[in-house]
Amino acid sequence: MSKNAPVSVFHRLRKRYGNTMILALLLVVMAILVNLTPLKEQTWLRVLFGISALNFTLRMTVPLVLGALSGILCERSGIINIGIEGMMLAGAFAGFVAKTSTNHWPLAASLIFSVAAAMAVGGLMGAVHALFSIRFRMDQIISGTVIIILALGATSYLYNRDAIAEGKFSSIPIPGLSQIPVIGPILFDNPPITYLALIMVVVVHVGLFYTRWGLRTRAVGEHPRAADTVGINVNLYRYVNTSLGGMLAGLAGAFLVLEAVGQFQEGMTAGRGFISLAAMIFGNWNPFGALAAATLFGYTQALQNELLLAGVTQVPRQFISMLPYVVTIVAVSGLVGRVRPPAAEGKVYETEGSA
Amino acid sequence: MKASRMMKLLFLLTSLTLLLAACPAAVPAADSGSGADDEMTADFKVGLVTDVGRVNDRSFNQSAWEGVVESAEALGLAEDDIKYIETQDAKDYTDNIQQFIDADYNVIVSVGFALGDATTTAAKENPDVFFIGVDQFQGENIPNLAGLIFNEDHSGYLAGVLAGSLSQTGTIAAVLGTDLVPPVVAFNEGYVAGAQSVNADINVISTYHPGEISQAFVDPEWGAATAKQALDQGADVIFGAGGITGNGALQEIATADGAGETVFCIGVDTDQWNTVPAAQPCLVSSAMKLITPGVVELVTMASDGEFPGGNYFGKADLAPFHDFDDMIPQELKDLLAETKAGLIDGSIDTGYGN
Repeated sequence: MSKNAPVSVFHRLRKRYGNTMILALLLVVMAILVNLTPLKEQTWLRVLFGISALNFTLRMTVPLVLGALSGILCERSGIINIGIEGMMLAGAFAGFVAKTSTNHWPLAASLIFSVAAAMAVGGLMGAVHALFSIRFRMDQIISGTVIIILALGATSYLYNRDAIAEGKFSSIPIPGLSQIPVIGPILFDNPPITYLALIMVVVVHVGLFYTRWGLRTRAVGEHPRAADTVGINVNLYRYVNTSLGGMLAGLAGAFLVLEAVGQFQEGMTAGRGFISLAAMIFGNWNPFGALAAATLFGYTQALQNELLLAGVTQVPRQFISMLPYVVTIVAVSGLVGRVRPPAAEGKVYETEGSA
Repeated sequence: MKASRMMKLLFLLTSLTLLLAACPAAVPAADSGSGADDEMTADFKVGLVTDVGRVNDRSFNQSAWEGVVESAEALGLAEDDIKYIETQDAKDYTDNIQQFIDADYNVIVSVGFALGDATTTAAKENPDVFFIGVDQFQGENIPNLAGLIFNEDHSGYLAGVLAGSLSQTGTIAAVLGTDLVPPVVAFNEGYVAGAQSVNADINVISTYHPGEISQAFVDPEWGAATAKQALDQGADVIFGAGGITGNGALQEIATADGAGETVFCIGVDTDQWNTVPAAQPCLVSSAMKLITPGVVELVTMASDGEFPGGNYFGKADLAPFHDFDDMIPQELKDLLAETKAGLIDGSIDTGYGN
C-alpha cells in the first residue's frame, strides 16, 4: 500500500460512485426533513422516507450485501458461486444448532460461539465447492446447484422442530452517534452483525484493491496463466477465497438466525442467495456497488410494505417489486453502465504439463 | 491412483445429496406399492399426499395426517392401511396421487390449495375413489370429491375482535402470506371487520408478502422485519397469518419490548402455542381452522358410504388463551362467545365475499 492510499481511496471512490454518493446524501437529507418536520403528515413522503421504511431497508440489505460480498470474493478469484443460497442456509442451520446446544451458556458467549459455528460451516461449504470446481473440474454451476440441494436437504432432514434458540443479538447503540436525530436510530442503533456487514464492505474493498492479496486474487480471476507465470499459486488463492466467501455467506445465515428471526426455519433464506447474486452483478463485482444494489433491493421491498401499511393501493405493488430486477436487467444488458465479470471466471486452471 | 479415490468420494457425496433430497418421498412410496395388489378390496385404505413439505410440519400437513390417523383408529384400520407421501416438488402432485390410485386406495386426502387442480383431475378420472381436498374450494360438484374448506373470515373476525379489544394504541396490524391465496385474504378481511366491530376508529395496517406463492409462506425474515416495521408505526397487536412467514412475525414480536404486556401477537391455522413455542411470550391466541376433525368426519362418511361431494365446511375458531387466560377480561370472553355464535347462525356478517 502506498503512503497516500487514503487520499487515493477517496478520490477513486468519488470518481466511481459520485452519483451514488449524491443520491445517498439526498436520501439522508430527505429522511431528516421528513421525520423531524410537519412534512411527515404527508403520506407519500412518510412512505418514501419514514424511519420504519429505512430501518426495514437496512435490515433487508444486510443478508443481501453479505451474500454479494461472498460472491465477489469467489468470483474475483475466478470461481462462479451460485451456491450462496446453500452456504447461507447451512450457516443459518449451524448457527441455530450451536445456539440451541449452548443455551445454558452466558448469552453473549453462546451467540459469539454460534456465529463462529455458522461461519465455519459456511466456509466448509465454500471449501467443498472449491474442491468440486478445482480438484474435480466439475462445472461450477452444477457444483453450486449441488451445494444448494445438499444444504436444503440436509438442513430440513436434521432440523428438530422442538429446539428453541433462547435469545438473539440485541441492538448496541453507539454512544454519541446514536443520539443524532433520525440517522442515529437508523444507522447507529443496530445489532452487531449489521455493523459487521457494513464494516466488511470496507474491508473487502480495501482488501481487494489495496493489498497484495487483493491484487493477486484479481490477477488469478482475470488472467491465471499470467499470475502463475509470476509464481502465484492460482488454485491456492481460489481455495482460500472460495472458503472465505463461504464464511461470509455463513455470516449472512447467522444474521438471519441469531440476529433477525431468532429461530431457524426450513428454507428460511427464501431466495436471498440468488438476489445477492443479482446485487453482485448489478454492483459490477465491486463491494460498494454491491452495497448500493443491495440497498436498492431492500428499499424497494420496504416501499412495497409501506404502501400497503399506509393503505396506498392505487399503485400496483407488483410494479414496485419488479423495479430492482428491471434495473438489474438494464444494468446487465449494458445500458446503465458497463458490467464486466472477471475474465477467467468459471474456467478451470491447469498448470502446463498437468493436462 | 489418488485421483480416482477422490472421484469415488465425489460420487459418494453426490449420491448422498440425492439420497437426502429424495429420501422422505421414496420410503413410503416404496412401501405402498408392495402387498397392495394381492389383498384387493377387503380392507379400507386411506392415503395422504402432502403439499411441498413434511408431514410433521406442525401445520396443514400434520393436522390433516392426524385426522387420517384418528379416523383409522375410530374405524379400526390397521397401521398398514394408512400411508402418506411427502411431496418434494410441486410438479409431483399428480404422480403422488396416482401412486395411491394404482395401489387401490379407497380414500385419498390431498393437502393444500396448490393441489386443487391435480386432485380435481384425478377425481374425474377415478370415480370409484373418494378424494378429500383440504383447503380446496370446489367450483363444480364432483360426487367423489369433497373440498374441506373453512370460513377463514370467521376465525379472522374473532381474531379481529380480540385484537381490537386488546389494543391500547388504536393501531393493529396483520402480517400476511400472499394475496394470491384466497383464504389469506379471507383471514385479513375478517380480521379488519372484527376489529372495526369493537372499535370503529381502529387503524388496521396489513401487508402481504410481495413474492410468488412458492416464497410467500416460507420467508420468516420478511415476516419478522415487517412485524418490526408495524411495531415502529405504533401497532400493538399483530396477526401473523402466512405459514413460516407468519411464524417469523410472531417470533419477532415475542422478543420485542413489552411482549405479553403491551404488545401481543395472534397466530393462525393451528394452535400456535404448540407449534411455535418461541412465540409464547406474546401469543394470546390463534385463528384456527380445525382441519383434524374435518378430515375425521369426511373419512368416516366415506367409509359409511355417505360421502358428500362439493364443498364441506370445517369449523373455524380461536385457540385457547393458555397463559394469557387470566389477562383476558370475562366481558371479552363473553363477547367472543357471542360473536362466535353470531357468526355460526349468520346474524353477524364479516363482509367477506360480498
